Amino acid sequence: MADIAVSTRGLVKIYSNTVKALDGVSINVNHGEIFAVLGPNGAGKTTLMRILTTQLRPTSGEAYVLGYNVVSDGDKVRRFIGYVPQEFSVWTDLSGYENLLIYAKIYGVPRHEINERINEVLRFMDLSDASKRLVRTYSGGMIRRLEIATALLIEPEILFLDEPTIGLDPAARKMVWDKLTALNKELGLTIFFNSHYMDEVEMYADRLVILNKGKVVVEGAADELKRSVGGEVVELTVDDMSKTVHRVNEMNSLGIRDVNIDNDRGIVRVIVDNAEEALPVIITTLRDAGVRIIKASISRPTLDDVFLKYVGGKISEEGRLQEVRTLRSVIKKG
Amino acid sequence: MSFINAVVAFVELEARRIRYNITEVITRVVQPILWLVVFGPIMASVRALPTDGIPYIAFITPGVILQSVTFVSIFYGLTIVWERESGILKKLLTTPVPRIAIVLGRSSASVIRAFMQFMIITPIALLIGVRIVPNPLDIMFVIIIITITSVGFSAFSIWIATFMKTRERFMGIGQAITMPLFFASNSIYPINIMPPIFKAISLGNPLTYSIDALRKTLIIGTLDGLITDIVALIIFTTIFTLLASIQFRRLIE
Ligand SMILES: Nc1ncnc2c1ncn2[C@@H]1O[C@H](COP(=O)(O)OP(=O)(O)OP(=O)(O)O)[C@@H](O)[C@H]1O
Ligand SMILES: [Mg+2]
Repeated sequence: MADIAVSTRGLVKIYSNTVKALDGVSINVNHGEIFAVLGPNGAGKTTLMRILTTQLRPTSGEAYVLGYNVVSDGDKVRRFIGYVPQEFSVWTDLSGYENLLIYAKIYGVPRHEINERINEVLRFMDLSDASKRLVRTYSGGMIRRLEIATALLIEPEILFLDEPTIGLDPAARKMVWDKLTALNKELGLTIFFNSHYMDEVEMYADRLVILNKGKVVVEGAADELKRSVGGEVVELTVDDMSKTVHRVNEMNSLGIRDVNIDNDRGIVRVIVDNAEEALPVIITTLRDAGVRIIKASISRPTLDDVFLKYVGGKISEEGRLQEVRTLRSVIKKG
Repeated sequence: MSFINAVVAFVELEARRIRYNITEVITRVVQPILWLVVFGPIMASVRALPTDGIPYIAFITPGVILQSVTFVSIFYGLTIVWERESGILKKLLTTPVPRIAIVLGRSSASVIRAFMQFMIITPIALLIGVRIVPNPLDIMFVIIIITITSVGFSAFSIWIATFMKTRERFMGIGQAITMPLFFASNSIYPINIMPPIFKAISLGNPLTYSIDALRKTLIIGTLDGLITDIVALIIFTTIFTLLASIQFRRLIE
């Protein structure tokens, strides 16, 4: 199998109502990585995922999943992918076990393996105890884990997750991600997910693209992207600012890019490649030189800064989150 | 093989869901029962309609059963509309199951609901004095007729759902269809007393053929002319299963 799990070239999607949701998207996702598509509301994340999962046809451009063309070889693609939609994909008037049973039969899991497979995914997703209860009684996090469990039934090569933790509280989000990272590490499962949570993407994605208005703004590893915005900063509050600047300037082995004084805040800013490594050395050097350090802190650029630099504006929008949460709870009540 | 497994899985899904929603089944037999125990005896006492010697309540029993079968089948499309609004349909389309298996599976699932209706209404009809033909061959045809009718009308409703994409619109259309279907058929009066225009409409109504077939097998006990009815029903069911499968993708576009 090819090393590239997912690749697209110049994908364009124009919906029938003339909305141009994707405007020439080209991406590459490697095998075994956790890949994120980060972007604000309406960026086209869902559209991209729905093309990759063979639900929609692109208007133009090409997309390959595991080397198969999603349009002409859709049936092959569907045999190897798991998918959890943004909305909701289980029947709330059945138990968790029954949902898995029905999906296993729909997927055509061999009859003698069904029970074992279901128990395995239930155990993995920590749902064994709740498996006999109606899904209606599950929490949002449990439902998401059940949905992931159904996607795992066919032992997919790639898992596509559309906003896997939307509307969940931090504890439930962490639980979902613990499971997902375990799947990635233990089974080498490639995970492709959409999100508009910066922190989640930063924490869990090996690589990401930022999508905005149907275009890829930037692609890379989170660290790489953050570094591209500017270095990390060591901020020092000291008794002698000019001596500090002088001394730090003399240190040249540490990847120090710049030193300046921020008079407004009364601090010295040292811009470095890696603040965690630089900080102890800077402190030792200054102390040896007799400078008294009152306070030292590190600040790093976040993906927000990356987004700000490339797009201008913030990603997160609380209002919309509320909307989605309401939608999910309406759907859950049936 | 996997095709059939998937269809069976959808039927099983429906059976499991019904277990948890028995009240819905009960509320849906109220109306047919009223036709049998209120409307039937009143019309029978008037003796206004020529029914070829069949007691009037027995005459309308097949129509009442099938009216209720088509009703549950047509509103089955609502499930599909609902699953479109949630993400279930999107997910199903990413599984290896062919689209036609989804359509056929979902419409076959409505057969379960149809037989629930049949199993409740028929004993009540017997209770109020309707005599049915206890011949195994006839009963076999009864099962076939109800099955095809139910699959056909739910395929029809899935097809409707591909362009009536919201629940409100679908409800509206569903309500607008079910009653005229019932009245523009041979359900509560013989077709040959109708004015020509209604006669023509009734002959284009698939329900007419179902009712005619069920009346022959369940009440009269004859297989004469049954083949015409069954061929008509098979054509209807095939056309709408194909139409629904072709249009299915539109549901999630
Ligand atoms: N089925 C559809 N028909 C027409 N337009 C659509 C459809 N689905 C999405 N769009 C439009 O396409 C654009 C991209 O939508 P998409 O759902 O892909 O974005 P997204 O990044 O997933 O947004 P969100 O974060 O809200 O989920 C939006 O302008 C949206 O209104
Ligand atoms: Mg989306």
